[in-house]
Amino acid sequence: MMTERISSLKDYFFDGKHHTVRRTPQMLGLDTLAVSFSEQNLPASMRASMMLEAMLDAERAVIFDGEQIVATRTITSVPSIFTEGEWKKIKESHYLHENGMLSNISPNFGAILEEGLESRKQRFMDRAASADAEGKLFVSSVVKSIEALQKFIQKYESCAVGMGKHDLAQVLHNIRAEGAGTFHEALQLLRFVHYGLWASGCYHNTLGRFDQYMYPYYKRDIDAGRLSRDEAYELLQSFFLSCNKDSDLYPGMQQGDNGQSMVLGGRDRSGRSLFNELSGMCLEASYDLNLIDPKINLRVDSGTPLEVFKLGARLTERGLGFPQYDNDDVVIPGLMRLGYDEEDAYDYVVAACWEFIIPGKAMDIVNIGALSLAAVVSESVDKLGSFSSFNEYYDWLEQDIRRRCVELSKQFGNLYVVPAPLYSAFMDGTLERARDITVGGKYNNFGIHGTGIATAVDSLSAIKKYVFEQKSITVDELQAALDANFEGYEDIYRKLRFEAPKMGRDDDYADSLATKLLNSFAKGLEGLTNERGGIFRAGTGTAMYYISHAASLKATPDGRKAGEVLPANYSPSMFLRHNGPVSVMKSFAKPELDHAINGGPLTIELDDTIFRNEENLEKLAMLIRSYVILGGHQLQLNTLKKEDLLDAKVHPENHRNLIVRVWGWSGYFVELDECYQDHVINRIKYSI
Amino acid sequence: MQIPQHTMTQGLIFSIEEFAINDGPGIRKTVFLKGCPLRCAWCHNPEGLFGGPQIMHGRDGDELCGRFVRSTELAASLLKDSDFYTMSNGGVTFTGGEPTMQSDFLIEVLEMLKGKVHTALETSGFCPEPVFRRIVGLTDFVLFDIKAVNPEVHKRYTGVDNALILKNLDNLIRSGKPFVVRIPLIPGVNDSLEAMEQVHELIMDAPGLQRVEILRYHKTAGAKYPKVDMEYNPPFDTDAEPQIHNIFENSIVL
Repeated sequence: MMTERISSLKDYFFDGKHHTVRRTPQMLGLDTLAVSFSEQNLPASMRASMMLEAMLDAERAVIFDGEQIVATRTITSVPSIFTEGEWKKIKESHYLHENGMLSNISPNFGAILEEGLESRKQRFMDRAASADAEGKLFVSSVVKSIEALQKFIQKYESCAVGMGKHDLAQVLHNIRAEGAGTFHEALQLLRFVHYGLWASGCYHNTLGRFDQYMYPYYKRDIDAGRLSRDEAYELLQSFFLSCNKDSDLYPGMQQGDNGQSMVLGGRDRSGRSLFNELSGMCLEASYDLNLIDPKINLRVDSGTPLEVFKLGARLTERGLGFPQYDNDDVVIPGLMRLGYDEEDAYDYVVAACWEFIIPGKAMDIVNIGALSLAAVVSESVDKLGSFSSFNEYYDWLEQDIRRRCVELSKQFGNLYVVPAPLYSAFMDGTLERARDITVGGKYNNFGIHGTGIATAVDSLSAIKKYVFEQKSITVDELQAALDANFEGYEDIYRKLRFEAPKMGRDDDYADSLATKLLNSFAKGLEGLTNERGGIFRAGTGTAMYYISHAASLKATPDGRKAGEVLPANYSPSMFLRHNGPVSVMKSFAKPELDHAINGGPLTIELDDTIFRNEENLEKLAMLIRSYVILGGHQLQLNTLKKEDLLDAKVHPENHRNLIVRVWGWSGYFVELDECYQDHVINRIKYSI
Repeated sequence: MQIPQHTMTQGLIFSIEEFAINDGPGIRKTVFLKGCPLRCAWCHNPEGLFGGPQIMHGRDGDELCGRFVRSTELAASLLKDSDFYTMSNGGVTFTGGEPTMQSDFLIEVLEMLKGKVHTALETSGFCPEPVFRRIVGLTDFVLFDIKAVNPEVHKRYTGVDNALILKNLDNLIRSGKPFVVRIPLIPGVNDSLEAMEQVHELIMDAPGLQRVEILRYHKTAGAKYPKVDMEYNPPFDTDAEPQIHNIFENSIVL
């Protein structure tokens, strides 16, 4: 249910009526700041805080009718702190991840909500005395940034007072300095902190374990009788809504790729479930609002009650592409295996898409690079003639993977991330170290996606079976067929494409090769370190590489023709003749996924007819739980309405609300580039 | 159980569906056995009617519909997955066609599954009584279709008399086996209050009755007829809205 207030605000924002308050940085003179910074030769850290200060000074306080959780972006983008010339120089000597800004990590929201901005600022001020020169600079940048945010909150407070909104004004007054005392204050402070991260140019700003850090405020208000459940629910919806009003301004590969992921549930070290009343309300709010943000992850394990899976399944019906399920049974031991401390591993959250990170502590760059496993196998075909057995060939392939991993690991040297003093204020250890989070945190690991896993495994299966075992296709024939993109090799094409063993049919022949390949990938990265002393984590995600890696890939031994796309994430081949979801799940749960735990879900498309009745919902919940019990690490379910998608390509104007999951995020279908639209439509054929 | 391969019967199946969610409790794997003695005017699986392999026109060209499989082979493949289905208190469902038409095969498979995975049978009940009793005895759960109690209506729309079916319904009730009754709801054929009351009369005191499932007729039933070179000319108004007289204590309209 949505109250009148929420539903009219939703319409207002969805129609973009609030866009009228927007201005460009050019209109406000913010675009020339970098030049003046440069002329004064200011250090980057100082520039970052000055830019934030200028941004927030130029921002206007805007309170829309009925808003309970305020703060709206009115400036369309965050200007760079460097001039183009400076960027050029930085790029000459540094590795930049994406656009160079801090992204895709998770702050310790719980701590700042409890402590409050004033005390945090004070502690940083006090740190200056014992800090070195660099530390002093950092600390003063943090203080300046927090002050800017406080001033911004004050601006909203004055606005609320001016509009006669005294309750709201009181909330704003309290949180400017103090930690949150109520649920409303906690939500509003969170909104400002999150807003501040976006306004400082950081992106893929996650929301972490919202139900855990927010619950004490909820519980206290309910117990004290200050707040009813309905009131709390409306506030929660208001907060969710606030995550959507500026999201078209957030940087990402495509609109919707903004990383506002929220993690619910999970269990603690004693095995106790942490799914609470607020967790359930979050799932409900997302169902009722039917919006792309926040993107919900549900931490589950083999002991999670079916009721929780049912709440998740109900949200799946919406077709938002979430919740995504993360299996504590696999993820926690996997992270510990990689060297994360037990208490940190238990506290994991999900980055923008699916990568596992530790809030407050990790400066991991979980999507720094990718290895196309499909290409590894594809390029090995030329060498096939020199091996007399599959095992001999595979031993060579494993070494080749290692060689490529070593090479890849060297590409990220002299990494530079633009300082992020405000973000640093909300991370653990930055105060003690008196250093910006961008130069390193407790964990500094890099994640490497393994793309085209199913294509690689299916190719290996075909090579093993037909070239080495049956000897029914010679190496020369295979090479010729692939070189010719199967033109004139119809028999080989059909055999490879339709008859060969494939991952996703619960066939041990193919699945055992998947286990082998993922282990080789993990082994390939094992022992390698980056310049920050971090390790490399192997994963099963693809991000946008399922398009780009496919483009440079010729025909492959699994019967895939050149130009055909790769499956997204950890999913079966696009032309697998699958038996159904049970076989797919069984296949994909077989590899030891805790060895390749960077993240990347099995992705299954559902036909929306599954949701005809409540009983089926329960069966879907059972299916999800079964995958978790089998040891699958992560699962994404997409509900697709085929007719809608096809019609939306022709009449986008009639489908502005149509939401699809793209690779690790949900977005509005009509806003996507055509290649992504087509990939989604292609997947329908394989839905259950 | 060790049974020499060569003594085992072959069966003809035309599909195996995973995550079948409307064929009994929990998540089930449903096996479709080919061949049916009935010719229901609303049948949506026309490829299941003929008791032999046949050509079916598909998106990627013609394919053979129906494959022979040994009972041992089928049982082994079903048992391979049984843990998965058991997790949701589900299991395996045999449907068709009319599965009891291949009774020797079905009995062998059921014997091999007995006690290892929950089994269900979906049947029209059109089957010799001793065979029916034997199969029900080996099955954990039955989905029993009732098209019409009125013999004339039944004969007209399914091609067979329902006397044997009603006797087997009685056999099923007497067995005490848990079962559901399924009624395909066909507008103008069996959707009257009277027709429902006749069904109600027969099953109201059955101790094993779990519930009644009323399956709405879907026009898409005709979709597969051209693929097996058959014409779909149902002798009832496919556009009509059926009456829904849900007079059963525990029922669901699917």
